[in-house]
Amino acid sequence: MAYMYLGWGISLAVLALYALSLVARGRRLTKSVPPERRRWTS
Amino acid sequence: MTTPQVPTAPDGTGSPATRVLGIVALAAMALLVYLAFVATPRDATQGDLVRLLYLHPGLAWTAYLACGIATAASIQHLRKRTIGSDLLAHSSVEIGAVMTALTLVTGSVWGRPTWGVWWVWDARLTSTAVLLLLLLGYLALHRIDAPPEVRSRRSAVVGLLLVPNVILVHQSVQWWRTLHQEPTLARRDFDFGASDLMMFTMIYGFVALSLVFSWLLVQRFRVGWLEHQVEEAWLDEAITERRAEALGAEVER
Amino acid sequence: MFRDARLIAAKDLRIELRSKVTAGQVLPFALLLLVLFAFGLDPDGPTLAAATPGLFWVGVLFVTVLAVERTFSIEGGDGVRDALRLAGLEPGGIFLGKWFALAVQLAVVELVMLGGVVLLYDRELHGIGLLLASSLAATCGIAAAGTLYGVLAAGLRVRETLLPFLLLPVLAPVLIAATRAFESALDGVPSDGWPWFNLLAVFALVYIGIGILTFGSLLEES
Repeated sequence: MAYMYLGWGISLAVLALYALSLVARGRRLTKSVPPERRRWTS
Repeated sequence: MTTPQVPTAPDGTGSPATRVLGIVALAAMALLVYLAFVATPRDATQGDLVRLLYLHPGLAWTAYLACGIATAASIQHLRKRTIGSDLLAHSSVEIGAVMTALTLVTGSVWGRPTWGVWWVWDARLTSTAVLLLLLLGYLALHRIDAPPEVRSRRSAVVGLLLVPNVILVHQSVQWWRTLHQEPTLARRDFDFGASDLMMFTMIYGFVALSLVFSWLLVQRFRVGWLEHQVEEAWLDEAITERRAEALGAEVER
Repeated sequence: MFRDARLIAAKDLRIELRSKVTAGQVLPFALLLLVLFAFGLDPDGPTLAAATPGLFWVGVLFVTVLAVERTFSIEGGDGVRDALRLAGLEPGGIFLGKWFALAVQLAVVELVMLGGVVLLYDRELHGIGLLLASSLAATCGIAAAGTLYGVLAAGLRVRETLLPFLLLPVLAPVLIAATRAFESALDGVPSDGWPWFNLLAVFALVYIGIGILTFGSLLEES
C-alpha cells in the first residue's frame, strides 16, 4: 500500500537525516573548540 | 587509534559508548523493519496498513518520554541553574518535536486510507497536535535574542509546564471528543486478536524507537554543549577586546 | 506576600483607570469581534447560535493576548522592572498582584461581551450559576497563564508574535472546557457542565501555584 510506504519512508528518512545532521554539526563544531572543553564530562 | 602517551581528543560527538549505542539502535530498527514488513502477516481488516502501527505508537511514546525528560531537566535547571540541565531539556524538546511531528504524519497517513480523510479531530491526534505546538513554543523561546542565562531560565519555565500542560490538554480533549465519538472511530487500532507476533512487533517498536531516541538525545546534548562552548569563547573574546579597548583608551589619555 | 500583591494590583488597576487603554481600545475590539463573527457566520441561520459559546471564548482569548501585552508593556519603560525588584517586593506577591489586575480587566471585558452576546446574538442566559462559576474559573486560569507567559515574552523584540504562539496552545484546555460549560449552561443542561468547571478550577490552581513559585527566578535577570 502506497500510504504505508509513505508513512514509513518519511519517518525513516526524517530520522536518518536528523541523525546525520547532528553528526555533521558535531564534527564541524568540534573543530572550533579546544580539546579539553569538548565534553560536558571533561 | 589511541596513542599510549596522549589520550585522543574527540573529533566529533561520537565516543566508544555511543558508537555501540548507535549500532545497537540501528540494528534494532533494522529488525523492526524486518518484523514489520516481512515476518508479520497482513491484517484481516486493515491489510498492509497495519504495518504503520508498529511505528506510530513507538513514536508517540518517545514524544511523551521527551516531555518527561524536558520537564524534569527544567525543574533541575530552575533549582540549580546548571548548563547541563538546560542542554538536556533543550535537546529533549527538540527531539521530542521531531518525534511528535512524525507521530502526526504516521497517524495522518494511516488515517487517510482508513477513514478517507487526512485529519480527524479525535482525542489522540488533537492532543498530539497541541503537544507539537507546545514543543515548538519552547524551541522558539530558546532562540530569543537575550543572554544565555535569560534564555535558559525562561525556557525552563515553559519546560516545567510541559508535563502539566500535556495532562491538562489530554484530559480536556479526551472528555470533549468522547462526548461525540462515533463507534467506528472509537474502536480503531488495537484489535490484533489474530497474531501474537503482531502484538510483539508493536511492543518491540517501542523498544527500537527508545534506543534511537536515546542515541539522538546524547548526540544532540553533545552538539548543544559544543555550541555552548563556542558561544562562551566568543563572549570571552568580545569582553577581552572591550577591556583592551578601554585600557588602551585610558593609557592614551 | 498578599500585601505586596495588593500594592501591585492597585498600581496596575490605577494605571488602567487613568489611561483607559483596556476600556478604550480592548473593549471595543472585543465588541468588534462579536460583530465580525456575525458577518462571517450568517446570524439568520442556526450556525451563529450554535457557535456562540465557542466564539465568545475565542474572542476572550484574543482579548487576553492584547491585555497581557499591555500589562507588561507598562513595566517595560525606564527601568520600571528594576525598580520593582529593588523595592523589595516579594515576587510571588508581584505575580499575584499582576494576576489579579489582569483578571479584573478580563472579567470586565467578558461581562461586556456577555451583554453583547445577549443583545447582538439574541441569546437568553440560562444556567447563570454555571456561567458565572465557569467564567470565574476560566478567567482566573487565563489571567494566571497570561501573567506567567507574559513575563516570559517580556522585553523581547519578538514579543508580539512569540506571546500568542506560547500562550494560546496552553489555553486550549480552557477554551475547550469553558466552551463546553457555556454550551451546557445555555442549552439548559447545566449538570453536564460542572465537570468542566472542575477542570477549569484545576487549571487555574496549577497556573497560580506555578506562577507564584517561578516568578522570582524570572524577574531576577538583566
